[in-house]
Amino acid sequence: MTQHVLLNSVDHHDLRVITTRGAGFGENQWFCPTFPLEFRSVQADFPIFFHKDSQTGQFFPVAIFGFSHHENLFLEQGIWDNTYWPLALRRQPFLIGQQLIKEDGVERAHRVLHIDLDHPRVSKTAGEPLFLPFGGNSQLLDDMASLLETLHHGMQDAKQLVTELLALQLLEGVTLDITLDNGQKHQMIGFYTINEDKLANLDAATLHKLQQQGYLQAIYMVLASQSNIRHLIQLKNQQLKQQQAG
Amino acid sequence: MDQAIKQIVIVGGGTAGWLTAAIIAAEHLVDEGQLAPNPLISILLIESPQVPTIGVGEGTWPSMRLTLQKIGISETEFIRCCDASFKQGSQFVDWQQTPSNGSASFYLHPFTLPVGVPDFNICPYWLGHRDSVSFADAVSQQAELSAAGFAPKFITTPEYSFVNNYGYHLDAGKFSQLLQRHCIEKLGVRHVADHVVSVESASDGDIAAIVTAENGRISADLFIDCSGQQSLLLGQHLQVPFLPQHQVLFNDRALAVQVPYAEAESAIAANTIATAQASGWIWDIGLPTRRGVGHCYSSAHCSDDVALSRLYEYVARTAGGKVADLLSPKKLMIKPGYHAKCLERNCMAIGMAAGFIEPLEASALALVEWSAKQIATQLPRTRQGLDLVASRINQSYLQHWQQIISFLKLHYVLSQRDDDVYWQDHRDTVPDMLKDQLSLWHEQVPSNADFRFQDQLFPAASYQYVLYGMQFNTAAYPQLKPSLKRKAHELFQQNAQRVAKLRTGLPTVRDLLIKINLYGLPPI
Repeated sequence: MTQHVLLNSVDHHDLRVITTRGAGFGENQWFCPTFPLEFRSVQADFPIFFHKDSQTGQFFPVAIFGFSHHENLFLEQGIWDNTYWPLALRRQPFLIGQQLIKEDGVERAHRVLHIDLDHPRVSKTAGEPLFLPFGGNSQLLDDMASLLETLHHGMQDAKQLVTELLALQLLEGVTLDITLDNGQKHQMIGFYTINEDKLANLDAATLHKLQQQGYLQAIYMVLASQSNIRHLIQLKNQQLKQQQAG
Repeated sequence: MDQAIKQIVIVGGGTAGWLTAAIIAAEHLVDEGQLAPNPLISILLIESPQVPTIGVGEGTWPSMRLTLQKIGISETEFIRCCDASFKQGSQFVDWQQTPSNGSASFYLHPFTLPVGVPDFNICPYWLGHRDSVSFADAVSQQAELSAAGFAPKFITTPEYSFVNNYGYHLDAGKFSQLLQRHCIEKLGVRHVADHVVSVESASDGDIAAIVTAENGRISADLFIDCSGQQSLLLGQHLQVPFLPQHQVLFNDRALAVQVPYAEAESAIAANTIATAQASGWIWDIGLPTRRGVGHCYSSAHCSDDVALSRLYEYVARTAGGKVADLLSPKKLMIKPGYHAKCLERNCMAIGMAAGFIEPLEASALALVEWSAKQIATQLPRTRQGLDLVASRINQSYLQHWQQIISFLKLHYVLSQRDDDVYWQDHRDTVPDMLKDQLSLWHEQVPSNADFRFQDQLFPAASYQYVLYGMQFNTAAYPQLKPSLKRKAHELFQQNAQRVAKLRTGLPTVRDLLIKINLYGLPPI
């Protein structure tokens, strides 16, 4: 269950947030959203693909952690703490909300900080405080506010990237057929990546435009990230071996 | 005679004219969305500003998805611009018998082919279960889901792809505007708004030119007549005989109205609903913003006043009496029949200029697509080649018309209605070919072997849906292979499982259209 409320220093003066990583904190997911500015860090550890939102049909880039729902192989194999921590997970339990404020008689939407009071990271005893004893925000809260701002702009940028990729017909569906050491087969469907033939045939003007937007780098980061699938398979094989031995 | 075909002139706009222009242009003037630098042909469409378009709501077949994709229109843009919704088939209400208090009979003719097609005709295996499950429900997941108002796809399903096969319901006026814009801006079609005042013959009998009020004489190598029922070039000028069909299909009038929804978010029907009346039937087409409802009837059996009162009764029953009071019906005259040829000399007629029949199976636009595709893909380089292509196209054209007439007639002759002599008159005028087919189908189910030509518009499956929807009796087969019975059983079960699964996941038509307006459909 989730309970999203606008964060304020009166009602929430004694709230704390646990900042360690782990399955108990909702990180047992098989992928999470990511965005171009983060691609360089993400591709060091995880494959990046594109996926459609089931409610809107819109594409968004994702970092992959496993082969099926709730399977985070990095977490399960105990190396999660050594990997890059994607902002979409690091932000929890905070999220961006919208508030309508009247400015000179005109209503404007402002971004405001919301918190999910039911999130397992939220505590009154453990973790770091959000507000200082005599007023003012804690460092954690200030950091979170700027992280969410980065994430917000990153998601806008991801949307723009997707628009460009679709316009240039640079996205194509991939079906990943994976055979594990024990013969088990996995098929991942519903993921998309860069069409390399189309990319190779782009003209100079288009390449220049992509480069100016910063998307040329993003495109190659996505391509480079594909080699991490091998690592995912290794982790899965390792896990199966351990389960057999255990 | 060996002059090259370079200039094509289409006479008449509307859906038929613009759709034809788009299909020919997409084939000859465009490659991968780019205009060809030096095309061999040019296309000019002349549309009279004085002739109003008919503009009632229309239904299409699934073939329209491929047509739109081919001419390069995005499905999202099409749905948003044309007030379009999804059509998954036709629901026939009260056709089997005269409705008596509270008891209505209905059946579906869905667009999805029965499971097993094309390798396996499952129909004989259903005969033994006919008392427990309808044919459409047993062999297609679409019947139950579309009747319950589910959309044929998800918001994540790419443009023009589907979970259940579909065509469209659309606003014909808006559709021809979109096609016109697309033809002019993207496909290199030239447009002249002018009135044709006369037609000039060449010495050999071909059409040399048309003469217009403002632009004078316009010559061409090939003329396409999309002038509607007046059939300006093919019928009036070239005198190709018209073959009337009112002796088989009596309906020659229609009264059409637009019915508002009670609320902006009211459910949208996923099928065309065709409800039989004492001397005709009423169509009911759900668009996102309104319904298009019309009574199609036989003037020999029913006066306009009586037809109008039946239409009002239907609207009052389905939308409320207050709504019915505000209607302003539009009257349409139908001359059921077709010309003996569609291609004569250097002129091809497409759409109502070739022929027209009541919209019982929404065959009008499907025939426009078929005709335009024929001339687009077989377009000869020279005038001489045209004669050779013409005999082939004319033969298929005649076969299509004969099948359409016969298939529409089938809907009437199986009825047990007795509330008007209209229905008895239908049962008394069964064409010989249909009579023979019906006696065969008492012994065995329809199969594609029953049709003499391959490329038919209505496959055997369509006949199965209508026959068994109307409770037609085919004797159970005395012997069926146990292995194939098991196979059929498995297919029936898988079908039922898919229905149960999709029931919990598919959006309603209204919900999907709201999402398409917000987000659009993904292109891949």
